[in-house]
Amino acid sequence: MMSSSTTPADSTHGHDEGDGKVHAHVSSPLFLISIFAALIFLTIVTVAVSYVDLGTANTFVAMLIATMKATLVAAFFMHLRYDKPLHTIVFVASFVFLAIFLLFSLDDLRTRGRIDAVNGGVINPANGQVAPGGIQIPAAPAGSAPAAEHGEAPAAGGEHH
Amino acid sequence: MSTASTEATHGHDAHGGHDPFLAHHFDTPAQQFDSAKFGMWVFICTEILMFGGLFVAYGIFRNQEVEIFHLAHERLDKVMGAINTIVLLFSSLTAAMAVRQAQVGDRKGTDRALIITLLCACVFLVIKFFEYKHKFHDGLLPGHFFTAHLPEHAHNGHVLPYRASMFFALYFMMTGLHGVHVLIGMGVLTYALVRNRRGGINKEYFTPVEIGALYWHLVDLVWIYLFPLLYLVG
Repeated sequence: MMSSSTTPADSTHGHDEGDGKVHAHVSSPLFLISIFAALIFLTIVTVAVSYVDLGTANTFVAMLIATMKATLVAAFFMHLRYDKPLHTIVFVASFVFLAIFLLFSLDDLRTRGRIDAVNGGVINPANGQVAPGGIQIPAAPAGSAPAAEHGEAPAAGGEHH
Repeated sequence: MSTASTEATHGHDAHGGHDPFLAHHFDTPAQQFDSAKFGMWVFICTEILMFGGLFVAYGIFRNQEVEIFHLAHERLDKVMGAINTIVLLFSSLTAAMAVRQAQVGDRKGTDRALIITLLCACVFLVIKFFEYKHKFHDGLLPGHFFTAHLPEHAHNGHVLPYRASMFFALYFMMTGLHGVHVLIGMGVLTYALVRNRRGGINKEYFTPVEIGALYWHLVDLVWIYLFPLLYLVG
């Protein structure tokens, strides 16, 4: 990227004035304190909401408020709002990849039992014989048949204790 | 970029090449500052991914053991967690103030803000120490160290199931790794403080304070997510 610049003066611009000096945004103390006040307010809200039973919505609300707080910290305390967009792209990219990691892992566990029955299972549905290959599913303890619905291995591991 | 063109365009600079704060492999202080900051953001990205592994583990195990996680999270002290959240948010404010004071050339102010940030970090760790001590006492520990399922550790007449040890394994790994980051952050901020005291920080060069503060805000960011996940929703 830098090598495409014709002169060194060009390569130093970005948001600054091209004189090569550091021109960072200076926040006023009052502004920083108001961001802090907003963060404290959101903390109080999230603690208060945790005493109200909203079912699964509790997790959603808590994560929403945490993301609002993280956005305030990143945008104003970490100066992303006034920085080059490249820094925001790097920062947001880490969350995108984290989301891929989390969603694919959860999706795998959620559907594993279902797929095993037809795909990786050890019984050939055509003839009822033990098929070659596939995953050897550990024998489930008696009376826990529904466990086969969602990921037997972790559930079976937990039963030993 | 060739050296010749650098000389040509920067010959008229007041400090052309003699700036003691400009490393020889950078053309200008702005380029040096931008490089440091970009490097720090890439590092922050890797840090988020490192904590990400633990957050994904938390998501998966919580998904499998919703009721047990809910029972286990009730054994954490919400009030202590909330106080620690406020302490960390306040330390983030003072870290941002330290950068601000460094930018306007107020050496004393930077000094003061960094010291308050470090004191907040100590308060955080002291509170964390008492929380850990309480967990140890109640047998709320990972894996086979877990003894809260035994009758002598009953809480309000109830014991936790043995499988709740998974919650505490995640609790100790996540808050423990975060605690290590608090310690490292204290080291980074102490370095910035020493640099500032020796006169190594000024209006034109405040990179150590800026980068140290970015690290400290990262520590705060991680806690912003840890607190609700562990203490509030379980």
